[in-house]
Amino acid sequence: MPAQANANVVALQLEKVRDKVPLLYERDDILLTMIQQRGDVEKVSSRNLRLPLQVYPGGKAGSYNADGGDLGRGSGTFYDVAQVSPIFFRFAIEITKLVEYATNGRERAVENAAKREVANGMKQFRSFLDKLMQTAGSGVLGTVSSFSGTTWTMATPPGAALVYVGQTIQVYDPTLTTNRGSCNVVAADPISPTQTITIDVNPTGLTNGDVIVHDGLTGSNPVSLYGIKYHQNNATTGTWLNLNRATYPVQLATPRVNAGNAALTPSNVRLAINKVRKSLGINHVSKLIAYMAVEQEHAWENLGITVSQIIKEGGAGDGNDLDLLFSGRKTMSGVPIKSSVNADQTRVDFLDLSHWGRAVLKDIDFYEVNGNTVFPIYGASGGIAASYIFYFDTAFQVWDDSPRTGAYIDTLARPSGY
Amino acid sequence: MKDKCRGRIEIVRETHETPEAVLERLKLAGGLNRFGQAHYRAVWGWNRLAWIGGKFEERDPSSGSLLREVVELRQEPKYPAVNRWHLERWMPPESYGSRRAWYAQTLEIADGQSVPALGPYPERGDYEHCFTLEGPHGEFVQLTATVAEHIARAIEWSRNKSRAARREAVGERTAREERAYDEHAFAILDDTVPAFHAQPFVCVG
Repeated sequence: MPAQANANVVALQLEKVRDKVPLLYERDDILLTMIQQRGDVEKVSSRNLRLPLQVYPGGKAGSYNADGGDLGRGSGTFYDVAQVSPIFFRFAIEITKLVEYATNGRERAVENAAKREVANGMKQFRSFLDKLMQTAGSGVLGTVSSFSGTTWTMATPPGAALVYVGQTIQVYDPTLTTNRGSCNVVAADPISPTQTITIDVNPTGLTNGDVIVHDGLTGSNPVSLYGIKYHQNNATTGTWLNLNRATYPVQLATPRVNAGNAALTPSNVRLAINKVRKSLGINHVSKLIAYMAVEQEHAWENLGITVSQIIKEGGAGDGNDLDLLFSGRKTMSGVPIKSSVNADQTRVDFLDLSHWGRAVLKDIDFYEVNGNTVFPIYGASGGIAASYIFYFDTAFQVWDDSPRTGAYIDTLARPSGY
Repeated sequence: MKDKCRGRIEIVRETHETPEAVLERLKLAGGLNRFGQAHYRAVWGWNRLAWIGGKFEERDPSSGSLLREVVELRQEPKYPAVNRWHLERWMPPESYGSRRAWYAQTLEIADGQSVPALGPYPERGDYEHCFTLEGPHGEFVQLTATVAEHIARAIEWSRNKSRAARREAVGERTAREERAYDEHAFAILDDTVPAFHAQPFVCVG
């Protein structure tokens, strides 16, 4: 019988926490997990999930001549089918032996190391997937507007908000045709107005205007998670869930308000909400949430007509009273606000999440091969390295069965200081 | 069945006027604008109507299928929560941009007709939403003068804070949410571990 390897002990620790993994993942504090795994959708196989959509109403209305007139022919409701296929995502976590040695007591050391890495890894994985939720479905995390050495200035939006330090990224040409190679992010500054990232080595052929995508994508026009900008889009060309947008230019277009690089105003918000009300009915906006970056939440606060975060943070000394008496929810013209550090800094999306869902092929869990969840790392010599690796993986795709139930305001100015 | 229905009154639109005491307290809390109106006011959702113009699609409530399309300018409830009290604050006309910019942004052309989507330019400014009175779970909260004044004063207090301070507060909340996730994660993971990490222990005393 082989000697017990440390990886076996870690595996035991991971097994202890295994049933807690979904609890760490499914928490309603980011947009991704606010979108439910819908009960009305069967867990999908590797084949596409089909979403029947009623695109045109049926029936022929009109007057007729009762004195022997022809009543004419009728028509039926016209349906089409949107299709979704899941994408596999993984998150690799590697622990060195040093981590284990850093604390006393063997059992507890391994337990602590595993626990900490599970918690941190899940947080980072959720964050990564939430960042993808902000994109237009091709995995593009940013655009290099210019570069000096290995420091790249990123175009805003999204600036440097969608990458994290240590992430492996790939560079594509602006048309997403040529993959120029990959590199690693060694620094990212999503806070300052310059929005720069620093990487280890520039890929050959790097050019201003190139885009960066996440690791694992291949070929031209890669497909990743269908995020907000994929579903909340007023384009009339291209495809949406395998349907041709040109075929249904009205039905698949989300109402848009172009702010023209001006600051957010109540008029923008009313225009956007009213577009939804006009298409769906006056009383059909009760489920909307206003999803935005903290920049736009700040812009709304700057109008001075809302209960500011500064009150809720206790600055007025009476923030607790407000929370006790009222829901304390911040709203935008009566629509609850949900803000995120990952959201597009120049956009406000009005979402009806009851129309959104996740088609899940594999729930989040540890990646497993023949019962093993922890794998050794080998050194350059072929001998074992003093570290081991485990993975989280999941397979899903996000869909929205009614793009017209939302609306968005884009090209908003960012408030000063951002 | 017919007898059961006889005499039943169905209220389809419930309206309420704001109590005088509330209006007075709001006047004291927020002062008056250039037109002599209070900066703050409280309104019942069904009473607060606003212009909506454009092409309306009327749908069958049961199937959601399109019945007809109408191009017009209507007055409809401004806020989604029609059965709640809302607090509003007056915004000056210049905050809506120029008359020209207003129509440039809001004019919609539908079936060959031009309709201002938000109605005419607000020459005397307009009242905008500040707060919906609701309980923590969205339940009804009655409007009182104390509650209204409390909110208005809180908003006025925050208006006097710098933009940097407001930005910092938003940042603090983000940091708090991060900490909350960490605590949540470790609490969940601690649940899987026996007490004292399975080390032997004895009770003392």
